[in-house]
Amino acid sequence: MEPRIGVYICHCGSNIAATVDVEEVAEYAKTLPAVVISRDYKFMCSDPGQDLIKKDIRELGVNRVVVASCSPQMHEPTFRRAVQDAGLNPYYFEMANIREHCSWVTESRKEATEKARALVSAAVHRVYYHQPLENKEVPVHPDTLIVGGGIAGIQAALEIANSGHRVYLVEREPSIGGHMMQLDKTFPTLDCSACILTPKMSLVGAHPMIELLTYSEVDNVSGYVGNFRVKIRKKARYVDASKCNGCGTCMTKCPVKVDSEFDEKLSKRKAIYTPFAQAVPNVTVIDREHCTYFLKGKCRACEKFCERDAIDFEQEDELIEIQVGNVILTTGYKLFDPSPVKEYGYGRFDNVLTSLEFERMVNSAGPTAGHILLKNGKEPESIAIIHCVGSRDEKYHEYCSRVCCMYAMKFAHLLIEHVHGAKVYEFYIDIRSPGKGYEEFYNRVQREGAVFFRGRPGEITDVALTPEEKGKLIVQFEDTLIGKQRRLPVDMVILCSGIEPQSDSQEMAHKFNISCGKEKFFTEKHPKLDPVATMTDGVFIAGCCQGPRDIPDTVAQASAAAARVLALINKGKVEIEADTAVIDEDKCSGCRVCNLLCPYNAITYIEKDKVSHINEALCKGCGTCVAGCPSGAIIHRHFTNDQIDAELQGILV
Amino acid sequence: MSENVHMTFMDEVAALPACDKINECIQCGVCSGSCSTAERWEYPPRKVIAMVRAGMKDELLKSNSIWFCVSCYLCTARCPRDIKPANIVHGLESMALKEGYKPPTTTTTMYRSFAGSITEYGRVYEFGFMLKYFLKTNPFAALKMLPLAISLFTHGRMPLTAKPVKGREQLTKIISKMSEGGVR
Repeated sequence: MEPRIGVYICHCGSNIAATVDVEEVAEYAKTLPAVVISRDYKFMCSDPGQDLIKKDIRELGVNRVVVASCSPQMHEPTFRRAVQDAGLNPYYFEMANIREHCSWVTESRKEATEKARALVSAAVHRVYYHQPLENKEVPVHPDTLIVGGGIAGIQAALEIANSGHRVYLVEREPSIGGHMMQLDKTFPTLDCSACILTPKMSLVGAHPMIELLTYSEVDNVSGYVGNFRVKIRKKARYVDASKCNGCGTCMTKCPVKVDSEFDEKLSKRKAIYTPFAQAVPNVTVIDREHCTYFLKGKCRACEKFCERDAIDFEQEDELIEIQVGNVILTTGYKLFDPSPVKEYGYGRFDNVLTSLEFERMVNSAGPTAGHILLKNGKEPESIAIIHCVGSRDEKYHEYCSRVCCMYAMKFAHLLIEHVHGAKVYEFYIDIRSPGKGYEEFYNRVQREGAVFFRGRPGEITDVALTPEEKGKLIVQFEDTLIGKQRRLPVDMVILCSGIEPQSDSQEMAHKFNISCGKEKFFTEKHPKLDPVATMTDGVFIAGCCQGPRDIPDTVAQASAAAARVLALINKGKVEIEADTAVIDEDKCSGCRVCNLLCPYNAITYIEKDKVSHINEALCKGCGTCVAGCPSGAIIHRHFTNDQIDAELQGILV
Repeated sequence: MSENVHMTFMDEVAALPACDKINECIQCGVCSGSCSTAERWEYPPRKVIAMVRAGMKDELLKSNSIWFCVSCYLCTARCPRDIKPANIVHGLESMALKEGYKPPTTTTTMYRSFAGSITEYGRVYEFGFMLKYFLKTNPFAALKMLPLAISLFTHGRMPLTAKPVKGREQLTKIISKMSEGGVR
């Protein structure tokens, strides 16, 4: 079939036409070999624009199409579909990017037009050599892996499981619940965090379609969308989960006291423990690092008193392998440790707390049973709350942690409620309260009597300059709305620590073949239009692992990720792009250079045939193996030598 | 187009050495909150930056602000946007002198006495430079310092004669090179 090429130059309103002489480019295209028709049009992506292409294919026998418009990232699928609708193979299409690569980055009309001509010429020369290709379909395994059992993981797991599909929920701590479980009340509605979370947790624990793997971590991941194989390490609990009924006798009998991570080290737990009373699953775990038996070879008090014989000191880590079609990462965040901010004295002064420490303190199930107390056991009369600690600061994290303003104001409310006559001072730079009911909450806290000082304090000191400062913590700050440096003596200081990525976020990203941004949060596929997908098909993200966010946003995102997974499960198959690499087995010497080069682990060596083989579902068409093959045995479909040579020639014409 | 005609105060300041991030200030006030002399400033450091951005050149350079900076650099160490307020303040001092504003404090006399001692001896000669400073400002104020001076002297911390460094010719060259185009 002799190529008959149709060329369509898009104005993109004035995005292209204001800088590129589109009519001239269209005229020029007519002079190129095998071009039978060349047109320019205001919006090629519109229905009438696409109809132009379809009509020419039908009426003029056009069998190769070039559209010169925006980036293929935007509209390649649109035009491929149009070409296919008119009866052509969608790969008989080529796009020239004369917007992002040309009009938007070139000031001179002459130069822009010249560049557009070159790009169009390149596309025309290239499309001449295009070959018809078929996209492949692979089945999608209906099970889903969710990593991280905080509110995001819980929400996503329930959404998917409730639709009748199996979910493996992996959590590295002994219980699900995450940071939300540590919180006392939640802004702006002041629901008790545990009261709204624990019903969901017990649903997860009892759900027939959820396999809960707590105290477990993902070891290794292989495969691709629809067909992931995941190895999970179930860490030894030293407690037989099938026998333990969570009676707690072992915890009472255990003689070892360890700082409680759940209570931010403000209370003690035992060496055999559940992190909190409502733990799901309600099965204890032995902390090997602190257990006397593991350290000294004797004790076993827990074993002696366990009525159900559930203690098993011989238990070992167990590796299990599961197959899933999709993955949702909901690995959450870590609180910024304010110790490096020396001027605020965290760790140096007794009564300087982090926000999570305060959450535990104000919680009735916490270390002080909900009483707000100074180290000396007295109630504070005045409390300073400092915003933006570790956030909005180039030395730590440049970003705004989004939740601190709101929780800081929640603290003010709780303090006024819990401590009679307490004076509460908020030190802020800007109050950020953009959410439903958030500004109203700000107003409410002001009505309740919290005092707002605009100014990031310079330092917290215990060096008193006046008698009334004696024995107090003094906040030195500029009241920026007055323009004066002032000192405020208080009893307690709460630092609103920001949200930062988990310390192993990059390792995690590497395991799942996704990327992390500058701040080491997971990167979404598109910040606006594809916020829960990643560049790796079948791997989705939700919650604070993607960036700081509050509970409502996290829940919404988790449901969104679940919907994306369910759509794939429901369809049952995924289409894989045809522009993958393929190995010519006759030419392959079996050197395996490509095996090592492939960034997607898509190439395996077939021992019996002594050649390498590319898994098309894993191949992303990056071309690394093609360039690396010493025998020239790898062909990159849709990027063949003919096509690339022609494209270069076209540009140089 | 002739030079600088359309430059605003803000652009002039941003063009000073290491002052280019002034427009990124978020007015958080950590500089003023940290400043060890802020209580003396007519306008605290944060407001100095705000006034630069607002183009209030005359008002700012006529005020006593900036002249109280003792270069402790706490503002610069703590600034969340790396604005370097101390650099801006010193830049403004230099600008004020070049443009003929009369400093409302004795800071420049102190600077000059100090720099004179360095130029002459290659090190700080406390006795000489303090003497010079007090003679130029308020000789009676020196009397108040007398007990301290005696104490320093008896402890061997303030010799009455200068002990110049070796290789003063080279030092002189370095200093003259540094001073080219600068304010002394």
